[in-house]
Amino acid sequence: MSLNTPGPQPPRWLDRLITKYCPPHLLEEVLGDLHERYSMRVQRDGEPKARRQYSWEVLRYLRTVVFQRQPSPFTQPALTDMLRNNFKIARRSLYRNKTYSLINVTGLGLGLACAILIFAIVKHHLSFDTFHTKKDRIYRITTEFHQDGVTVEANVPQPMGKAFSNDYTFAEKVAMVFSDDETLVSIPSSEDNRRFEEHVAYAEGAFFDIMDFPLVEGSKDSLLAQPNTAIITQRVARKFFGEENPINQVVRVSNKWDYKVVGVLKDMPVNTDRTDEIYLSYRNLKDYSNWLAGDSWTGLAGGMNCFILLKPNITASDVDKVFPALSEKYYDERDAKMFQFKLQHLSDFHFNTEMGGYISKGNLWALALIGLFLIVTACVNFTNLATAQALKRSKEIGVRKVLGSQRSQVFWQFMTETITITAMALVTGYAIAQLAIPYVISLLKLPPGFDNILQDTELLIFLPVLLLVVTFFAGFYPALVLAGFQPVLALKGKLSQKHTGGFTMRRGLVVGQFAISQLLIIGTIVIASQMRYARQADMGFTKDAIVMFPVPERETAVINSLRNELSRIAGIEAVTFCSRAPASVNWASVSFGFDSRPEKETFDIVVKAADDQYVPTFNLQVIAGRNIDHSDTVRDFLINETAVTKLGLKTPDDALGKKIEIGLNNRKGIVVGVVKDFHNQSFHEAIEPLCIVSSNEWYSDFAVKLNAARLPSSIEAIGDLWKRTFPEQVYEYEFLDDQIGRFYEMDSMILRLIQVSAAIAIFICCLGLYGLVSFMAAQKTKEVGVRKVLGASAQSILWLFGREFTRLIIVAFMLAAPLAWWLMNNWLANFQYRIEIGTEIFATAIVTTFAVAMITVGYQTIKAALANPVDSLRNE
Amino acid sequence: MRRSDLGEFEEVVLLAVAVLTPQAYSVVIAEELEQQTGKTITTGAVHAALQRLEQKGLVSSQMGDATAERGGRRKRIFTVTIAGSRVLREARDVRNNLWDRIAPHSLPNVNIA
Repeated sequence: MSLNTPGPQPPRWLDRLITKYCPPHLLEEVLGDLHERYSMRVQRDGEPKARRQYSWEVLRYLRTVVFQRQPSPFTQPALTDMLRNNFKIARRSLYRNKTYSLINVTGLGLGLACAILIFAIVKHHLSFDTFHTKKDRIYRITTEFHQDGVTVEANVPQPMGKAFSNDYTFAEKVAMVFSDDETLVSIPSSEDNRRFEEHVAYAEGAFFDIMDFPLVEGSKDSLLAQPNTAIITQRVARKFFGEENPINQVVRVSNKWDYKVVGVLKDMPVNTDRTDEIYLSYRNLKDYSNWLAGDSWTGLAGGMNCFILLKPNITASDVDKVFPALSEKYYDERDAKMFQFKLQHLSDFHFNTEMGGYISKGNLWALALIGLFLIVTACVNFTNLATAQALKRSKEIGVRKVLGSQRSQVFWQFMTETITITAMALVTGYAIAQLAIPYVISLLKLPPGFDNILQDTELLIFLPVLLLVVTFFAGFYPALVLAGFQPVLALKGKLSQKHTGGFTMRRGLVVGQFAISQLLIIGTIVIASQMRYARQADMGFTKDAIVMFPVPERETAVINSLRNELSRIAGIEAVTFCSRAPASVNWASVSFGFDSRPEKETFDIVVKAADDQYVPTFNLQVIAGRNIDHSDTVRDFLINETAVTKLGLKTPDDALGKKIEIGLNNRKGIVVGVVKDFHNQSFHEAIEPLCIVSSNEWYSDFAVKLNAARLPSSIEAIGDLWKRTFPEQVYEYEFLDDQIGRFYEMDSMILRLIQVSAAIAIFICCLGLYGLVSFMAAQKTKEVGVRKVLGASAQSILWLFGREFTRLIIVAFMLAAPLAWWLMNNWLANFQYRIEIGTEIFATAIVTTFAVAMITVGYQTIKAALANPVDSLRNE
Repeated sequence: MRRSDLGEFEEVVLLAVAVLTPQAYSVVIAEELEQQTGKTITTGAVHAALQRLEQKGLVSSQMGDATAERGGRRKRIFTVTIAGSRVLREARDVRNNLWDRIAPHSLPNVNIA
């Protein structure tokens, strides 16, 4: 309302203020009065005074309107009335365009379901061990092992705890905890001497002062200070003793040692890495292993942790500074360089995969990124379809605008529609997430308590935020386009694609979607191929039809009689007693001396204890010398090619007949042969130098090669024999294949995850594509009719549609391929032995997308191409 | 509160409307009252009073002309209704009655210069 008013004007902002608060039907007279009076005062009192008085007037006026507002002569629509109307319109238009609404709700719903689940998973992992009240001060000491390279271990030598608390005053509490593998635990008081396999830990009582694992029974003072005392969790107590009071009951560990239960812990929360549920007094560690409990500073045993609660004002770097001095005090000069220590904060435990952490933060963020991708594709879908639909609604908008709708009102009307769809999608998504949770739990090996996570408060905050964010990103652009229509053009029906943000915008979006899908497809193919390679590639030994059984008792007599009995069972082709399979987590990796060299070697050697049948059972190839002879104690050695090379020998024959002494009880022997390299760990790791040596005292398993045809009966027979031989133990066995498969647990988890994501991304993408092509077909009905009348063939019409999508897919591919190549090469770098990313992988990806896209657009396109032109051209 | 109850300020405004008719609108009324009373009277206050009077049916209004000073906006012109004039008269009667009954010399003398 710019009018040529003479003379000075009152402050504009005051006018705006009053315009905002004054009831509209009074505005004219009020503002007129104010201005008239202002100009009077300017003439009488001068401008400054007039301005001052003007502000006073406005403020006074505001007081009257705020407190004594007079009703307007018209009915005043409340804010909610318009909103209600918006929702009504939204409901109607969704109902009218059922396909469109269905596509949107399904697509967004799937995307949101993934987002919800991924949020829950990421949150679950980030919450690990965050519930400890003193979490800021909790650390553990870790070992950096400097040899050829640097390896880090979460373990420390056993005397560390005592040394650290005696020599330094940094710590408020220090607790050594040794977590053992699954161990046989039996209940002697039960009638049938019930037996269980459980993880046990030998722990110092201070552990429970450092971490918050509250006791529900028993006293906290002098916890586990007495030897032969144990505390267990409620869950284990129920499992062992049912409803009986567990306190003062006796549990027997490894059939040898009795422990009295003195306390019961509350069940471990799902978000802790401390999974042990039976804690035994640390003073009994010497029963378990004299060596482990001894004063050896050079032995590093897996599971030996030293937890520390620092005093409040001490920082980790203060402590790290004194560790070199500690190394020098307890090691000789050479070892002090090898053993270096460092503190690791509690918050790093779960994420440091080098030190046994479960998942790296990088992987976690990659997961979050996939979730984001899925949401983005779903939003893009929505935007795409909504803009494509825009023309359909141009008349409606025209009429609305002619009747006085403002741009912002139309904008909010469409935002209301978006939020309605998003809300429906969110409900769908939540339901899908709820249904999918059991699968996700088994897929990702999450703890069973995880299904409560969907009731989590933070998630319930996340949902509305998600709703608003998705609504905004999905709806903003189409609402803006629709609201910007010129009413005249809209009503005349002269709006074209150009006015709906053009095809370019939508093309860009589709390209983005396809790029994301192709990225995921390529990821899936690469990971799947690598996994197939890892499972099927020749590992240098036979792993089919081989079953591993544990050997709990290692007396020579037991082993010999077992060997005899096994040889009588039908269907067994070979038996070997050994410490683990050729490819396994290392049982022992020790320093060693070779030949008559004065110094020990600079690298460690992996020891595989095994009898003379090991080589034939696993089909290992001896390339020089001969296989070891049968012996109950250490005598002959086999070494592998890598060991030969690392020893600096020219040919394998040079190793034969040389003396070798390994740092495992200082056993000596003669190298009698060299085996061809085989993979001694997963494909993640390079082949290490190793030796094979027989010794009954070290065998932990026996491996049986079975005739595939008689597998079940043979296993049953072996089972019977086993139970007769070891009546006190828990029987179990495992196929070597499965054992090796477990190396790649994390990888196959990632694979399944990315497979599912890729499938969902493609599905969402197809939904969008379908919507788009149906719309395009409807738009081009006339064009197709004219073309056909002028003699176009059905093929050329097909090409009219196909050309467009082909181009989009190719552009998307050119974006996705390099990115995927880079990402997947990074992932493959985790493997020492890996596939090459060949062109065939990319070809598969593009062909797959192409095929899927063609199937999606096919129906609509063919329908359009085959339509009778008369129908489309008859009515103008 | 009865509809015809008249506040002191409202009464003055109503009188001013009667005085200034046919050109009675908030600005001139406010100016007039300012001159008469010597106090600052805001347009807003007058406006509010006029609205109350109109609600009570004591004045009626219609939109008048626009002027340049008003930025081209029209003004609302008020006139006293029959009800309004009755209320004014009643108020004056009450006052006159009371004045008439004041005994001579019972009010302290005020010297009017």
